[in-house]
Parts: sequence; C-alpha cells; structure tokens
Amino acid sequence: MKPEYRPYLIRLLVVFAISLAAMLLVVEGAYLLQREETDRGPKTIQIVVPEGAAQRVAEGEMLEILPENAVFVIGDVLEVVNQDSTDHQLGPIWVPAGSTGRVVLEEANKFSYSCSFTPSRYLGLDVKKPTTLQTRLTGLSISVPTTAAFLFIYSLLVFPINPKPKKSDSEVKA
Amino acid sequence: MKTKYFLLGVGVLLGVALVLTGWQFFQRPYTFRGSLIDPPVPAADFELTDQNGQPFRLSDQKGQIVLLFFGYTHCPDVCPLTLSHFKQIKADLGDRADQVRFVFITVDPERDTADQLQQYLPNFDSEILGLTGSMQSLESVWKNYGVYRAKQEVGSAAGYLMDHTARTYLIDQQGNWRLTYPFEMGKDDILQDVIHLLNRE
Repeated sequence: MKPEYRPYLIRLLVVFAISLAAMLLVVEGAYLLQREETDRGPKTIQIVVPEGAAQRVAEGEMLEILPENAVFVIGDVLEVVNQDSTDHQLGPIWVPAGSTGRVVLEEANKFSYSCSFTPSRYLGLDVKKPTTLQTRLTGLSISVPTTAAFLFIYSLLVFPINPKPKKSDSEVKA
Repeated sequence: MKTKYFLLGVGVLLGVALVLTGWQFFQRPYTFRGSLIDPPVPAADFELTDQNGQPFRLSDQKGQIVLLFFGYTHCPDVCPLTLSHFKQIKADLGDRADQVRFVFITVDPERDTADQLQQYLPNFDSEILGLTGSMQSLESVWKNYGVYRAKQEVGSAAGYLMDHTARTYLIDQQGNWRLTYPFEMGKDDILQDVIHLLNRE
C-alpha cells in the first residue's frame, strides 16, 4: 500500500469501529426496551386433544386446551396430538383419530381458523415475525456501513488529513 | 508483505465461513409445506366408481401418490381452482406424473353422475379421476375423511350450492394419510411435497 493512503485507511478503520459501537448500542438498546415475548426463536407448540373431546365440546363444555388467542412466531411448529376417537381439525391441520398433525407457521398474519375442539368452532392465531439475533445482525449490517461512510466523509471535512509535504531535492541535498 | 498475508487470511476465513453456511443450509431436513400427519396412519380404504364406470379402490393405488379432493361439478370457485392446480401440478411433474393419481370425489352425487363427471373433468385434464357412487358408500368416505357438506339453496337458476370441505389430501405410496393442504395453500407447495416424496421413494 502506498504510504499516502495509510492515514485514510486508519481513519476509515477508526470510524468503522466507532460506527459499530454506536449502532450496536442503538440496536441492542432498542431491542431491550421493546422486547416482547414473541422475540424468540421458533419452537414446537403442542396441543393435546384429550379422549372424548368431541363429545364434551358437543355438550357445550369449554376445554382448556389452548388460550382463545394464541401468539406464535414464524417458524413455530404447531402440533396437534389427537387422543380422541374422532378426527379433529385446527385450521390447516386435520388429524385423524389417534394421530398427530403438525404444520410449520411460515407467514406472519392474524388467522381465524375453524377448530373442532372449541365451543365457538373458531380459534384466533396470531403469527408474528420475531426480532431474533439474525434480525438484529441484519440491522447492524445495514446501519454500520452507511453510518461509517457518513462519518468518514464528515470527519474528512472537519479534520482533513494533511499529506506530509515531500522534501524537496534541495532540502535533501542540504 | 504483511498486508498480503492479512488479506489472504481474511479471504480463507471468509471462504470457510461460506462453505460452512452452505453446508448447514443444504443439511437442513426437508420441511413439508402441508400439514403433516405424523406418524402416518393408513388412509381409510374405499371403493367408488370413476367417470368411465370403472371401479376405483384406494388400496389398489399403493406405489403411487394419491392427491384427493372432495368437490362438485357445479361449484363456482373452489373446485375449479383446485382442479386447475391439479392440472398444473401434473404438467410440472412431467414424466413423473404417472406416479401420482389425481382424484376428485363428489360431495353432490345427485348431480354428479359418471356422465356429468366425464363431461366436466376434461375441461381440466381428462386423466383426473372423478369418483361417485351410492349415497351410502359416499357417506362412509365423507365420514372417514372428515368431510363436511351441506346443501345451500340460493334461489339461482343454476340450482343449489354445496358448502363443503376444501382440503386436499395426500396419500403416500404406502397408502398412508401423510399430508393435508388447506384450500389457501398454493399449488407450488403441494408440488414441492410431492416431488420430495417421489425422490425419497
């Protein structure tokens, strides 16, 4: 590398480090302040439909299998274990008697699913996009380079890098 | 010289990270798009009659994937769309389409006679099988497959409508219920699952 470029490189590295630290503070600070219970990685959520559920629901009994409005995150696996002697349905999941059905929730939305084991016959599912480590890293990857570029230009205006004057031939000879 | 070694080191590290990420990505197990029935359970067997008057028994289809849909020929929306998806899936499978049976079972046997099915299905693909039968045999199939159906009088010249389950069932090569798809699910999702099961076989 040519010696005259070295101060620019050093300035760029310093500015990048400052930007990284500042953005890390902002991103993590915002995450900690606004963190929700859905800010987690995907997991499997199991719902067990007990034996005799269909009959109990038909008699008007409220089964405490799942909260009326459940919140999930993208990538969650919704698993319905059917221990009943008849088939059951929860939205996209149809489970024959004695089997297990599962589906990966891949889209963020508020769903109102038909459901065979709730007295209302409907179940609300809220699927959210979680803020994960990947989301925060994506935020950093976008914000750090742009902040660094801005700071670099700004720093050059405020603190210009003055190239060392080359010694003239006469000075060298002297 | 030092800079060269530094850049070389960074390059090697980036290369290793890229390979590891790629390896992890391709190592991930396949995620079925449909709703998976696990462990798979044997699909309820039935025998009905196709549009050509030939008997169709589900258990005779082992070795092939069966995509099953319940509908009716006077349906204004869901059924034509699902049958269009069947047609596209079949086309996308190309030579492998002969390993998949596309089956349409009526929920409206009053109007869906074999003749009616024979006239209707070629609008999509003449190789889609349309099944009908006696009310008794159909009721048994509807019950076993959890199919809801109800007649709706709408006062239209076209006659009544049928409110019905719009789920598509995938029965695997071993004759097991394996996957179901709600109506909203796109044909590409079904296609991916079918291809995966064909590859695994």
